Amino acid sequence: MRKFLLIVLAATTISTGAAQAASVGIGPFGGASIPIVQDDQGNGSVFGIRAPVQIVPLLRVEPFWSTSALGDKTVDVGGTSFTRAGSDVKTFGLNAMLSLGGPVTFYPFVGIGTVKFDRGGQDESFTSYHMGLGLGLSPIPKLSVDLRAELQAAAKDGASRKMGNITLGASYSVFSMP
Amino acid sequence: MRTLRTTVPVLALAALAAAGCFLISGQFVVHYAFPTPLSLVAGGTLTGVDVDLNTVSEYNDHKEKLKRIEDLALVGDFRNNTGAAASIEAWIVPGAALNLSLAQVQAQGVRLWGPLSAGANSTVSVNWDQSSTLFVGRQTLIDEIKGDGRFSVYVVANGAFNLTLTNAALIVVVGATN
Repeated sequence: MRKFLLIVLAATTISTGAAQAASVGIGPFGGASIPIVQDDQGNGSVFGIRAPVQIVPLLRVEPFWSTSALGDKTVDVGGTSFTRAGSDVKTFGLNAMLSLGGPVTFYPFVGIGTVKFDRGGQDESFTSYHMGLGLGLSPIPKLSVDLRAELQAAAKDGASRKMGNITLGASYSVFSMP
Repeated sequence: MRTLRTTVPVLALAALAAAGCFLISGQFVVHYAFPTPLSLVAGGTLTGVDVDLNTVSEYNDHKEKLKRIEDLALVGDFRNNTGAAASIEAWIVPGAALNLSLAQVQAQGVRLWGPLSAGANSTVSVNWDQSSTLFVGRQTLIDEIKGDGRFSVYVVANGAFNLTLTNAALIVVVGATN
């Protein structure tokens, strides 16, 4: 764990050289959503859209919306199998992250939002917390490609439903100031 | 710049600290199988199912740190043995009394689930998804699960009913900290 934190810290520090100017972008993302310690949900997919906004050097905020389709889960009860459909999960929120210049960046991020789980007989909203790490590549100006690993925790009444989300996304800067 | 560079990691640590309790939680399936086959016939006293969740290891493992009831279902095959259509309901009696009359069940209990329509001399297989939509007395069951975990369930129908339940079970998904 200590080695991992040192690597994160080193990568963050090294790539902090060139801060970006103000800009607004937009782009899609998608990937896998893996429930963590949830006996009633299976692995699924996640897709969404986000709009990275550079407001000041080094700090970027990112409104986002995503939808996940978690997988079904089958439970054996006395020799008989019963299957529960996975939830449709819709999240709306805001991430904040270090915004580091250069063609390759490595950044931590945190976020908060609201998430709704929906399936037959269950329709509930939770507060959604996010944290994770991202790897950003910018092969050409205005375009960036991001690979992220994220922990999403949908919390209510002292417990939470957690998902590990691994996504690949692209964003294009539609407005920027030097 | 330095302040901004530390903002996101500090926010991440603050979020992690605030989220600490609910992050160490999960969703666990607890199921209680009814006797099978279970014959239920209208008459002076009815057959109730004595549910004691304390006999279920998954419940015992988590009842002290139980935070939420995430999902409920009453599943199984419900056979109507009469020549008239039946409207099937389940009632919960928090006091766990058995051998009650229909009037006593209705006086001491709360309608938990249903109605489920079953045609003359037909069997309806109720799956998890369908069952979750049929709960009408969720809060009473939730209170019992969060309480002593002991209650009785009566499955009844209109008129001179004669039902047979096969592979019936109560499924509960609890949210608990570890």
